[in-house]
Amino acid sequence: MKTFFLATGALALLLSPLGALCQQNDPNSKTAKPGPTPRTADRHADLTGYWKSTRDSKFFWHIGKDLPDRNLPFTPAGEAALKHNQTATKDPESLCIIGGAPRHNVTMMPFEILQGTRKVAFLYGDGSYRLIPIDPQRKHSEDPDPAFFGEEIGRWEGDTLVIDSVGFKDEKIWIDEYANPMSDALHVVERWTRPDAEHIHVETLIDDRKFYTKSFTYSRTWITGEPDDQVREFSCSENNVDEQHLGFGPGPVRKDGTIGYEDPAPLPPPIPRSPAPKE
Amino acid sequence: MKIKFGVLVAPVVGFALATALPLLAHHSFSAQFDGSKAIRVQGTLAKIEWTNPHTYFYIDVKDEAGVVLRWGCEAGAPAALSRRGFKRGDLKLGDTVIVDGYRAKDGSRLMDARRVTLPDGRIVSGASEGDGGPQVPQVPDPAGKKQ
Repeated sequence: MKTFFLATGALALLLSPLGALCQQNDPNSKTAKPGPTPRTADRHADLTGYWKSTRDSKFFWHIGKDLPDRNLPFTPAGEAALKHNQTATKDPESLCIIGGAPRHNVTMMPFEILQGTRKVAFLYGDGSYRLIPIDPQRKHSEDPDPAFFGEEIGRWEGDTLVIDSVGFKDEKIWIDEYANPMSDALHVVERWTRPDAEHIHVETLIDDRKFYTKSFTYSRTWITGEPDDQVREFSCSENNVDEQHLGFGPGPVRKDGTIGYEDPAPLPPPIPRSPAPKE
Repeated sequence: MKIKFGVLVAPVVGFALATALPLLAHHSFSAQFDGSKAIRVQGTLAKIEWTNPHTYFYIDVKDEAGVVLRWGCEAGAPAALSRRGFKRGDLKLGDTVIVDGYRAKDGSRLMDARRVTLPDGRIVSGASEGDGGPQVPQVPDPAGKKQ
Protein backbone atom coordinates (compact mmCIF):
# COMPACT_ATOMS: atom_id res chain seq x y z
CA MET A 1 0.00 0.00 0.00
CA LYS A 2 2.85 2.36 0.96
CA THR A 3 4.51 1.56 -2.36
CA PHE A 4 1.28 2.36 -4.18
CA PHE A 5 0.98 5.79 -2.55
CA LEU A 6 4.62 6.56 -3.14
CA ALA A 7 4.29 5.62 -6.77
CA THR A 8 1.12 7.68 -7.12
CA GLY A 9 2.76 10.65 -5.47
CA ALA A 10 5.79 10.34 -7.70
CA LEU A 11 3.54 10.13 -10.73
CA ALA A 12 1.64 13.21 -9.61
CA LEU A 13 4.88 15.12 -9.16
CA LEU A 14 6.04 13.98 -12.56
CA LEU A 15 2.81 15.01 -14.27
CA SER A 16 2.24 18.35 -12.51
CA PRO A 17 4.72 20.33 -14.65
CA LEU A 18 3.20 18.57 -17.65
CA GLY A 19 -0.20 19.76 -16.52
CA ALA A 20 1.15 23.27 -16.10
CA LEU A 21 2.71 23.07 -19.53
CA CYS A 22 -0.57 21.93 -21.05
CA GLN A 23 -2.32 24.82 -19.35
CA GLN A 24 0.31 27.26 -20.59
CA ASN A 25 -0.20 25.91 -24.08
CA ASP A 26 -3.94 26.44 -23.68
CA PRO A 27 -4.71 29.28 -26.10
CA ASN A 28 -7.43 30.47 -23.73
CA SER A 29 -4.98 31.15 -20.91
CA LYS A 30 -1.76 33.12 -20.79
CA THR A 31 -0.35 31.56 -17.64
CA ALA A 32 -0.88 28.36 -15.69
CA LYS A 33 -2.23 30.26 -12.71
CA PRO A 34 -3.77 33.61 -13.62
CA GLY A 35 -3.55 36.23 -10.91
CA PRO A 36 -6.55 37.35 -8.89
CA THR A 37 -9.18 39.75 -10.14
CA PRO A 38 -7.81 43.30 -9.92
CA ARG A 39 -9.95 45.78 -8.02
CA THR A 40 -10.61 49.50 -8.18
CA ALA A 41 -10.31 51.86 -5.24
CA ASP A 42 -14.02 51.41 -4.54
CA ARG A 43 -13.44 47.64 -4.36
CA HIS A 44 -15.33 46.68 -7.49
CA ALA A 45 -13.84 44.17 -9.89
CA ASP A 46 -11.78 46.17 -12.37
CA LEU A 47 -12.72 45.33 -15.94
CA THR A 48 -10.18 47.74 -17.37
CA GLY A 49 -8.00 46.17 -20.03
CA TYR A 50 -7.51 45.22 -23.67
CA TRP A 51 -9.51 42.11 -24.53
CA LYS A 52 -9.15 39.75 -27.43
CA SER A 53 -10.85 36.57 -28.63
CA THR A 54 -10.16 33.16 -27.23
CA ARG A 55 -10.93 29.98 -29.09
CA ASP A 56 -13.57 28.65 -26.71
CA SER A 57 -16.05 28.10 -29.52
CA LYS A 58 -15.80 28.04 -33.26
CA PHE A 59 -19.37 29.39 -33.36
CA PHE A 60 -18.91 32.53 -31.36
CA TRP A 61 -19.99 34.49 -34.47
CA HIS A 62 -23.53 33.04 -33.97
CA ILE A 63 -25.87 34.66 -31.41
CA GLY A 64 -27.56 31.30 -30.83
CA LYS A 65 -24.38 29.31 -30.21
CA ASP A 66 -25.51 28.28 -26.74
CA LEU A 67 -28.84 26.95 -27.99
CA PRO A 68 -29.22 23.28 -29.00
CA ASP A 69 -27.97 23.03 -32.61
CA ARG A 70 -27.94 26.83 -32.62
CA ASN A 71 -31.65 26.81 -33.47
CA LEU A 72 -32.94 30.31 -32.94
CA PRO A 73 -36.65 30.51 -31.92
CA PHE A 74 -37.81 32.75 -34.76
CA THR A 75 -41.24 34.26 -35.04
CA PRO A 76 -42.65 34.46 -38.59
CA ALA A 77 -41.51 38.10 -38.67
CA GLY A 78 -38.05 36.98 -37.55
CA GLU A 79 -37.86 34.38 -40.32
CA ALA A 80 -38.80 37.00 -42.86
CA ALA A 81 -36.25 39.45 -41.47
CA LEU A 82 -33.53 36.80 -41.62
CA LYS A 83 -34.34 36.04 -45.25
CA HIS A 84 -34.25 39.74 -46.06
CA ASN A 85 -30.83 40.10 -44.42
CA GLN A 86 -29.45 37.07 -46.24
CA THR A 87 -30.77 37.91 -49.71
CA ALA A 88 -31.18 41.66 -49.93
CA THR A 89 -28.83 43.26 -47.43
CA LYS A 90 -25.12 43.85 -47.46
CA ASP A 91 -23.46 43.44 -44.10
CA PRO A 92 -23.94 46.83 -42.43
CA GLU A 93 -20.46 46.70 -40.92
CA SER A 94 -19.01 46.29 -44.41
CA LEU A 95 -20.73 49.57 -45.28
CA CYS A 96 -18.97 51.15 -42.30
CA ILE A 97 -22.09 51.23 -40.17
CA ILE A 98 -21.18 50.33 -36.60
CA GLY A 99 -22.34 46.93 -35.46
CA GLY A 100 -23.47 48.07 -32.05
CA ALA A 101 -24.79 45.75 -29.38
CA PRO A 102 -24.96 42.84 -29.00
CA ARG A 103 -23.06 42.23 -32.25
CA HIS A 104 -19.82 43.65 -30.87
CA ASN A 105 -19.93 40.87 -28.25
CA VAL A 106 -20.21 38.34 -31.06
CA THR A 107 -17.41 39.37 -33.40
CA MET A 108 -13.69 38.77 -33.35
CA MET A 109 -13.07 42.44 -32.76
CA PRO A 110 -10.81 43.29 -29.82
CA PHE A 111 -11.95 45.97 -27.45
CA GLU A 112 -10.68 47.97 -24.55
CA ILE A 113 -12.50 48.81 -21.35
CA LEU A 114 -11.74 51.90 -19.30
CA GLN A 115 -13.57 51.71 -16.02
CA GLY A 116 -14.43 54.75 -13.94
CA THR A 117 -16.65 55.18 -10.95
CA ARG A 118 -19.55 56.80 -12.75
CA LYS A 119 -18.98 55.57 -16.29
CA VAL A 120 -17.46 52.62 -18.06
CA ALA A 121 -16.15 53.08 -21.59
CA PHE A 122 -15.97 50.27 -24.14
CA LEU A 123 -13.64 51.18 -27.03
CA TYR A 124 -13.82 48.94 -30.10
CA GLY A 125 -11.33 48.09 -32.80
CA ASP A 126 -13.54 49.65 -35.48
CA GLY A 127 -13.33 53.03 -33.83
CA SER A 128 -16.78 52.85 -32.24
CA TYR A 129 -17.37 53.15 -28.52
CA ARG A 130 -20.07 53.13 -25.90
CA LEU A 131 -20.25 54.91 -22.58
CA ILE A 132 -22.20 53.15 -19.87
CA PRO A 133 -23.43 55.34 -17.00
CA ILE A 134 -23.23 53.52 -13.68
CA ASP A 135 -26.41 54.56 -11.91
CA PRO A 136 -28.58 52.01 -10.13
CA GLN A 137 -31.31 54.63 -9.67
CA ARG A 138 -31.64 55.50 -13.35
CA LYS A 139 -34.57 54.26 -15.43
CA HIS A 140 -34.83 53.94 -19.19
CA SER A 141 -36.39 56.80 -21.16
CA GLU A 142 -40.03 56.59 -22.15
CA ASP A 143 -39.07 57.04 -25.81
CA PRO A 144 -35.34 56.55 -26.26
CA ASP A 145 -33.62 57.68 -29.43
CA PRO A 146 -32.86 54.53 -31.45
CA ALA A 147 -29.18 53.71 -31.32
CA PHE A 148 -26.89 50.94 -32.55
CA PHE A 149 -25.77 50.30 -28.99
CA GLY A 150 -29.19 51.12 -27.56
CA GLU A 151 -29.77 53.19 -24.45
CA GLU A 152 -27.54 51.63 -21.80
CA ILE A 153 -27.76 51.81 -18.03
CA GLY A 154 -25.17 50.16 -15.81
CA ARG A 155 -25.16 48.99 -12.22
CA TRP A 156 -23.06 46.74 -10.03
CA GLU A 157 -24.34 43.55 -8.49
CA GLY A 158 -21.42 42.51 -6.34
CA ASP A 159 -18.57 41.89 -8.76
CA THR A 160 -20.86 41.79 -11.80
CA LEU A 161 -21.33 44.81 -14.03
CA VAL A 162 -24.88 44.66 -15.37
CA ILE A 163 -25.61 46.64 -18.53
CA ASP A 164 -29.29 46.94 -19.41
CA SER A 165 -30.03 48.22 -22.93
CA VAL A 166 -33.17 49.05 -24.89
CA GLY A 167 -33.96 51.40 -27.77
CA PHE A 168 -32.13 49.75 -30.65
CA LYS A 169 -32.16 50.59 -34.33
CA ASP A 170 -34.37 48.40 -36.51
CA GLU A 171 -32.63 48.90 -39.83
CA LYS A 172 -29.08 48.46 -41.09
CA ILE A 173 -28.21 46.26 -38.15
CA TRP A 174 -27.52 42.55 -37.75
CA ILE A 175 -27.43 40.83 -34.39
CA ASP A 176 -24.48 38.62 -35.38
CA GLU A 177 -22.16 37.67 -38.24
CA TYR A 178 -24.71 35.26 -39.72
CA ALA A 179 -27.14 38.07 -40.60
CA ASN A 180 -29.57 37.01 -37.90
CA PRO A 181 -31.99 39.87 -37.31
CA MET A 182 -32.81 42.14 -34.39
CA SER A 183 -35.70 44.57 -34.00
CA ASP A 184 -36.39 47.75 -32.10
CA ALA A 185 -38.15 45.60 -29.48
CA LEU A 186 -34.83 44.08 -28.40
CA HIS A 187 -33.89 44.18 -24.72
CA VAL A 188 -30.33 43.15 -23.90
CA VAL A 189 -28.98 42.49 -20.40
CA GLU A 190 -25.25 41.89 -20.19
CA ARG A 191 -23.57 40.57 -17.06
CA TRP A 192 -19.82 41.20 -17.15
CA THR A 193 -17.41 39.53 -14.74
CA ARG A 194 -13.65 39.22 -14.43
CA PRO A 195 -12.98 35.85 -12.81
CA ASP A 196 -9.22 36.40 -12.73
CA ALA A 197 -6.55 38.77 -14.02
CA GLU A 198 -6.50 37.27 -17.53
CA HIS A 199 -10.14 36.76 -18.41
CA ILE A 200 -13.34 38.68 -18.84
CA HIS A 201 -16.69 37.02 -19.33
CA VAL A 202 -20.16 38.09 -20.39
CA GLU A 203 -23.53 36.46 -20.15
CA THR A 204 -25.83 38.23 -22.61
CA LEU A 205 -29.59 37.87 -22.32
CA ILE A 206 -31.38 38.48 -25.63
CA ASP A 207 -35.09 39.25 -25.44
CA ASP A 208 -36.71 40.33 -28.71
CA ARG A 209 -40.32 39.12 -28.88
CA LYS A 210 -40.88 40.69 -32.29
CA PHE A 211 -38.37 38.34 -33.93
CA TYR A 212 -37.84 35.57 -31.36
CA THR A 213 -40.53 33.68 -29.46
CA LYS A 214 -38.50 33.47 -26.27
CA SER A 215 -35.40 34.91 -24.69
CA PHE A 216 -32.05 33.14 -24.84
CA THR A 217 -28.49 33.76 -23.69
CA TYR A 218 -25.10 34.10 -25.31
CA SER A 219 -21.96 33.71 -23.22
CA ARG A 220 -18.37 34.39 -24.09
CA THR A 221 -14.93 34.79 -22.57
CA TRP A 222 -12.07 36.99 -23.76
CA ILE A 223 -8.43 37.00 -22.75
CA THR A 224 -6.27 39.98 -21.92
CA GLY A 225 -3.86 41.32 -24.50
CA GLU A 226 -0.19 42.21 -24.15
CA PRO A 227 0.75 45.11 -21.86
CA ASP A 228 1.21 47.51 -24.78
CA ASP A 229 -1.89 46.43 -26.71
CA GLN A 230 -4.51 49.07 -27.26
CA VAL A 231 -7.23 49.82 -29.77
CA ARG A 232 -5.81 51.80 -32.63
CA GLU A 233 -7.08 54.38 -35.06
CA PHE A 234 -9.44 52.96 -37.64
CA SER A 235 -11.38 54.98 -40.17
CA CYS A 236 -13.72 52.58 -41.95
CA SER A 237 -14.94 54.95 -44.64
CA GLU A 238 -11.47 56.18 -45.57
CA ASN A 239 -11.29 53.89 -48.61
CA ASN A 240 -14.19 51.46 -48.60
CA VAL A 241 -13.62 49.84 -51.98
CA ASP A 242 -15.56 46.76 -50.86
CA GLU A 243 -18.92 48.48 -50.88
CA GLN A 244 -19.29 48.04 -54.63
CA HIS A 245 -18.05 44.46 -54.72
CA LEU A 246 -19.80 42.81 -51.80
CA GLY A 247 -22.64 40.40 -52.20
CA PHE A 248 -25.70 40.13 -49.96
CA GLY A 249 -25.69 38.23 -46.71
CA PRO A 250 -22.76 36.71 -44.84
CA GLY A 251 -21.54 34.41 -47.61
CA PRO A 252 -21.68 30.63 -47.76
CA VAL A 253 -22.00 28.57 -44.59
CA ARG A 254 -20.15 25.26 -44.29
CA LYS A 255 -21.84 21.97 -43.36
CA ASP A 256 -20.44 22.33 -39.85
CA GLY A 257 -22.20 25.67 -39.49
CA THR A 258 -19.17 27.94 -39.69
CA ILE A 259 -19.02 30.73 -42.27
CA GLY A 260 -16.73 30.13 -45.20
CA TYR A 261 -16.01 27.82 -48.09
CA GLU A 262 -16.13 24.07 -47.55
CA ASP A 263 -12.96 23.23 -49.47
CA PRO A 264 -11.24 26.35 -50.72
CA ALA A 265 -8.84 25.90 -53.58
CA PRO A 266 -5.19 25.77 -52.55
CA LEU A 267 -2.98 28.72 -53.31
CA PRO A 268 -0.02 28.22 -55.64
CA PRO A 269 3.00 26.94 -53.74
CA PRO A 270 5.08 29.70 -52.17
CA ILE A 271 8.22 30.75 -53.97
CA PRO A 272 11.19 29.49 -51.97
CA ARG A 273 13.48 32.15 -50.68
CA SER A 274 17.12 31.39 -51.22
CA PRO A 275 19.24 31.64 -48.08
CA ALA A 276 21.87 34.38 -48.11
CA PRO A 277 25.28 33.09 -49.24
CA LYS A 278 27.69 32.40 -46.37
CA GLU A 279 30.55 34.86 -46.13
CA MET B 1 11.82 39.41 -65.12
CA LYS B 2 9.04 37.77 -67.06
CA ILE B 3 5.62 39.02 -66.06
CA LYS B 4 3.16 36.22 -65.66
CA PHE B 5 -0.54 36.04 -65.14
CA GLY B 6 -2.53 32.97 -64.35
CA VAL B 7 -5.72 31.68 -62.85
CA LEU B 8 -5.34 28.32 -61.21
CA VAL B 9 -7.95 25.61 -61.40
CA ALA B 10 -9.17 24.71 -57.95
CA PRO B 11 -8.69 21.09 -56.88
CA VAL B 12 -10.60 20.22 -53.77
CA VAL B 13 -8.26 20.43 -50.83
CA GLY B 14 -9.36 21.30 -47.33
CA PHE B 15 -7.64 23.99 -45.32
CA ALA B 16 -7.16 23.85 -41.59
CA LEU B 17 -9.21 26.20 -39.50
CA ALA B 18 -7.51 29.34 -38.32
CA THR B 19 -4.81 28.76 -35.76
CA ALA B 20 -3.93 32.40 -35.14
CA LEU B 21 -6.17 34.54 -33.00
CA PRO B 22 -8.06 36.73 -35.43
CA LEU B 23 -8.45 40.41 -34.65
CA LEU B 24 -10.75 42.46 -36.85
CA ALA B 25 -12.82 41.86 -39.93
CA HIS B 26 -14.51 44.53 -41.94
CA HIS B 27 -16.51 41.82 -43.65
CA SER B 28 -16.37 38.09 -44.02
CA PHE B 29 -14.07 36.71 -46.69
CA SER B 30 -16.82 34.65 -48.26
CA ALA B 31 -19.21 37.59 -48.65
CA GLN B 32 -16.85 39.06 -51.24
CA PHE B 33 -14.32 36.51 -52.46
CA ASP B 34 -14.63 33.12 -54.10
CA GLY B 35 -12.75 30.41 -52.24
CA SER B 36 -12.82 28.19 -55.31
CA LYS B 37 -10.90 30.65 -57.45
CA ALA B 38 -7.32 30.78 -56.31
CA ILE B 39 -5.09 33.08 -58.30
CA ARG B 40 -1.49 34.26 -58.47
CA VAL B 41 -0.86 37.75 -59.78
CA GLN B 42 2.70 38.81 -60.52
CA GLY B 43 3.53 42.21 -61.84
CA THR B 44 4.70 45.72 -61.22
CA LEU B 45 3.44 47.69 -58.25
CA ALA B 46 1.63 50.68 -59.71
CA LYS B 47 -0.19 52.10 -56.70
CA ILE B 48 -0.44 51.56 -52.97
CA GLU B 49 -3.33 52.64 -50.78
CA TRP B 50 -2.21 52.17 -47.19
CA THR B 51 -5.70 52.84 -45.85
CA ASN B 52 -8.54 51.64 -43.69
CA PRO B 53 -10.49 49.43 -43.76
CA HIS B 54 -8.11 47.63 -46.13
CA THR B 55 -4.76 48.23 -47.72
CA TYR B 56 -4.73 47.92 -51.50
CA PHE B 57 -1.86 47.12 -53.86
CA TYR B 58 -2.53 47.76 -57.50
CA ILE B 59 -0.38 45.62 -59.75
CA ASP B 60 0.06 46.08 -63.48
CA VAL B 61 0.25 42.81 -65.33
CA LYS B 62 0.97 42.46 -69.04
CA ASP B 63 -0.95 39.65 -70.67
CA GLU B 64 0.26 37.52 -73.58
CA ALA B 65 -1.04 40.08 -76.05
CA GLY B 66 0.95 42.80 -74.38
CA VAL B 67 -2.10 44.48 -72.87
CA VAL B 68 -1.53 45.83 -69.38
CA LEU B 69 -4.24 44.94 -66.91
CA ARG B 70 -4.39 46.42 -63.43
CA TRP B 71 -5.29 44.14 -60.54
CA GLY B 72 -6.39 45.36 -57.14
CA CYS B 73 -5.15 43.25 -54.24
CA GLU B 74 -6.97 43.72 -50.96
CA ALA B 75 -5.02 43.17 -47.76
CA GLY B 76 -5.59 43.79 -44.10
CA ALA B 77 -5.77 47.16 -42.41
CA PRO B 78 -2.42 48.94 -41.99
CA ALA B 79 -2.29 48.33 -38.24
CA ALA B 80 -2.84 44.60 -38.75
CA LEU B 81 -0.13 44.35 -41.41
CA SER B 82 2.25 46.38 -39.33
CA ARG B 83 1.82 44.02 -36.39
CA ARG B 84 3.03 41.22 -38.67
CA GLY B 85 6.12 43.18 -39.63
CA PHE B 86 4.74 44.19 -43.01
CA LYS B 87 5.35 47.93 -43.19
CA ARG B 88 4.53 50.46 -45.86
CA GLY B 89 8.24 50.94 -46.54
CA ASP B 90 8.59 47.29 -47.58
CA LEU B 91 7.15 48.18 -50.97
CA LYS B 92 7.81 50.97 -53.44
CA LEU B 93 6.27 51.77 -56.75
CA GLY B 94 7.87 49.82 -59.57
CA ASP B 95 8.66 46.80 -57.40
CA THR B 96 7.82 43.36 -58.75
CA VAL B 97 5.37 41.77 -56.38
CA ILE B 98 3.72 38.38 -56.33
CA VAL B 99 0.32 38.12 -54.68
CA ASP B 100 -1.52 34.86 -54.10
CA GLY B 101 -5.15 34.87 -53.11
CA TYR B 102 -8.72 34.55 -54.29
CA ARG B 103 -10.77 36.39 -56.87
CA ALA B 104 -13.73 38.61 -56.09
CA LYS B 105 -17.07 36.92 -56.63
CA ASP B 106 -18.28 39.68 -58.92
CA GLY B 107 -15.65 38.83 -61.53
CA SER B 108 -13.82 42.15 -61.26
CA ARG B 109 -10.03 42.38 -61.24
CA LEU B 110 -10.02 42.47 -57.47
CA MET B 111 -8.49 39.77 -55.32
CA ASP B 112 -7.99 38.99 -51.67
CA ALA B 113 -4.27 39.01 -50.94
CA ARG B 114 -3.70 36.01 -48.67
CA ARG B 115 0.04 35.79 -49.33
CA VAL B 116 2.42 38.48 -50.59
CA THR B 117 5.95 37.74 -51.81
CA LEU B 118 7.97 40.91 -51.42
CA PRO B 119 10.84 41.96 -53.71
CA ASP B 120 13.39 40.78 -51.14
CA GLY B 121 11.84 37.33 -51.17
CA ARG B 122 10.10 37.61 -47.80
CA ILE B 123 6.67 36.11 -47.74
CA VAL B 124 4.11 37.85 -45.59
CA SER B 125 0.47 37.31 -44.92
CA GLY B 126 -1.69 40.00 -46.44
CA ALA B 127 -4.87 38.47 -45.06
CA SER B 128 -7.54 40.55 -43.44
CA GLU B 129 -7.64 39.14 -39.96
CA GLY B 130 -10.77 37.64 -38.56
CA ASP B 131 -12.54 37.36 -41.91
CA GLY B 132 -12.93 33.59 -41.82
CA GLY B 133 -10.97 33.17 -45.02
CA PRO B 134 -8.64 30.29 -45.91
CA GLN B 135 -5.61 30.24 -43.68
CA VAL B 136 -2.21 30.16 -45.29
CA PRO B 137 0.50 28.15 -43.53
CA GLN B 138 3.53 30.13 -42.46
CA VAL B 139 6.52 29.76 -44.74
CA PRO B 140 9.79 29.06 -42.92
CA ASP B 141 12.55 31.51 -43.66
CA PRO B 142 15.77 29.74 -44.69
CA ALA B 143 17.54 32.22 -42.41
CA GLY B 144 15.54 30.81 -39.54
CA LYS B 145 13.29 33.82 -38.98
CA LYS B 146 9.49 33.52 -39.01
CA GLN B 147 7.78 35.16 -41.96
